[in-house]
Amino acid sequence: MAVRAEAVTIIRPAGSAWSNFAVHLRELADYGDLLRTLSVHRISVRYRQTVLGVVWAVLQPLLMMAIFVGVFSYLARMPSEGSPYALFAYTALLPWTFFSTAVTNATGSLVNHTQLITKVYFPREILPVTYVIASLFDFLLGLVALIGLMMWFNVPVTAASWHLVPVVALLTAWILAVALLSSAAQVRWRDIGVAMPLLVQIVMFASPVIYPLGLVPAAWRPWYLLNPIAGIINSFRDILLRGVQPEPLPLLYAAIVTACTLPVAYAIFKRAEATMADVV
Amino acid sequence: MIDIAFDRVSKRYRIRQSQHAGMKDFWAVREVSFEVGRGETFGLIGHNGAGKSTLLKLLSRITSPTQGEIRLNGKIAALIEVGSGFHPELSGRDNIYLSGSILGMKRREIAAKFDKIVDFSGVSEFIDTPVKWYSSGMYVRLGFAIAAHLDADILLVDEVLAVGDAQFQVQCQERLAELRRNGTTMLFISHDLVSIEKLCDRVGLMQRGQLIASGAPHEVIEDYERVTATSHVAAMADVSPPTPEAAPAAEIETITFHGVEGGEILGTRTGAPLIARVHYNVTAPVTDAIVEVFYYSRDGSVLHCQHSTALAGGQLTLVPGRGAIEFSSPEIGLQPGTYSIGATIRQHNSPATIDWHYGRTLLYVEPGKSVRGYFFTPHDWRVVEKHAHAGERPHA
Repeated sequence: MAVRAEAVTIIRPAGSAWSNFAVHLRELADYGDLLRTLSVHRISVRYRQTVLGVVWAVLQPLLMMAIFVGVFSYLARMPSEGSPYALFAYTALLPWTFFSTAVTNATGSLVNHTQLITKVYFPREILPVTYVIASLFDFLLGLVALIGLMMWFNVPVTAASWHLVPVVALLTAWILAVALLSSAAQVRWRDIGVAMPLLVQIVMFASPVIYPLGLVPAAWRPWYLLNPIAGIINSFRDILLRGVQPEPLPLLYAAIVTACTLPVAYAIFKRAEATMADVV
Repeated sequence: MIDIAFDRVSKRYRIRQSQHAGMKDFWAVREVSFEVGRGETFGLIGHNGAGKSTLLKLLSRITSPTQGEIRLNGKIAALIEVGSGFHPELSGRDNIYLSGSILGMKRREIAAKFDKIVDFSGVSEFIDTPVKWYSSGMYVRLGFAIAAHLDADILLVDEVLAVGDAQFQVQCQERLAELRRNGTTMLFISHDLVSIEKLCDRVGLMQRGQLIASGAPHEVIEDYERVTATSHVAAMADVSPPTPEAAPAAEIETITFHGVEGGEILGTRTGAPLIARVHYNVTAPVTDAIVEVFYYSRDGSVLHCQHSTALAGGQLTLVPGRGAIEFSSPEIGLQPGTYSIGATIRQHNSPATIDWHYGRTLLYVEPGKSVRGYFFTPHDWRVVEKHAHAGERPHA
């Protein structure tokens, strides 16, 4: 007779346990190996059979940057707060690309794995989360390219760069929140997937990617900053281009909105998980 | 120690019947309660749509119950739909890790069992080949090998014994028997009643979402076959099942098979002669009686052929006492396989069946004459001489 760990599992209707975070998180930790295996798998499969391979991770924001320089710097004469516009655009395009690829890929993650969802149980959040992790990997590669760019433009990498760590953590948390909501919604309403490219574009124009935050009228700020990407991009520029601590207010907005949204998003996701296999 | 406990569990699906109609409730599982003890193997049988698979989905947490509570004691794993989570571009090796972790194994566990899994699957030569190049047989074997090595206290098994070739099936059965000996609690779903009876300690019968019977495999399977066979007999002979209240005028005791020399046999070969005897006990005379024997598939769902005193002609009157009717076929037309045997006694022009029997009689048919198609039909042949026309040659 095999020795067994006495682990009692109780399966109940979804409604009665929908905010049971501790249980959900412990279970997610139990599936840590799956999260790791699937994330590595996403990264390795992603650029398979492409000639440029992982170079694409850096090329995407770099090409966007080149276009932005042409259009917004040379043609539109957009101010860039004293930094070279190329660098100014790239520091914003990097987090924005992370956001847009992660959210776009994660949105379809559940629907594209219908076969798994209807056959095997595992914490479903693993699917969107692996896409976020794969995009985070691309983001980190892009960050290495950014350091190269900064050296090219003679912008010093200062000690303030360490502030980037909590800011990237915050960005990842916000992306997770959006990914959880959009992937769960996509299961029920496929409109989400259709609308997503448009929504992502809207987020770009509603964030200081092309223009500096300073251009946004002060009266709009409180509303404008409800979009965490805005505060995060502003912090990126403070930290990297000016080598200073990020301006606290925009970052605080981003942190509060994220802190409120992520738990709610997770709870909604887990609630939807209960019947996901029935409706997908 | 109870490992699985269902307490009044129900599952409702909302289905839309047409574009215009609103949502309609459908209860796939209704108020199901049962318990499975540690180390016990519990089988679930029932027709398609009876709720067996939904029950399994609830247990494996693929979907949540609408009402009730399920209590599990120990780590659960499901041996369903082998090959779930395979990625075609990845090698067999990578897929073992991927699929294993999807099924809930830790990397460490998979690494420890890796060689065993590969051995079991028999695809070691191709373990570094992308699985998209695998034959479907290899694919299935690798999938099962992973699932069969899950370290679970409770194992859910859904119709997986039907995969692979005969040798692999034997291997699978052995593996399940081994897990059972090791004290794994099992919940088994299958249409193969013979396997269910062989493997399970207890069996539950599902019908329209409810658990209508549970107990010793033999008894529950008989209940199930009674329902199945009765509906078959009724549909075919246009009669209704016997009413249990009325004492039957005649009762079928057993059905036996005999070779041409008269000795009792358990099996025969395709194209060989077969004698079937229906032993009965008559208490009141039955005039215009019809006795019939039915050959069903193992799950009792498909009728393969029938012997009938009505079809063979002649009139039959059963007189009180014990007796037997013998049907003899010079050549039996059944293809190799295992058949479940049923028999009925009824009266001509009467809607009610006097007695029917759906016992545990099985007939094993081994390959004899090599026959293509669904059945063998006894036949003769001869050369027909024709006046030879130009351009037409007589058959050799």
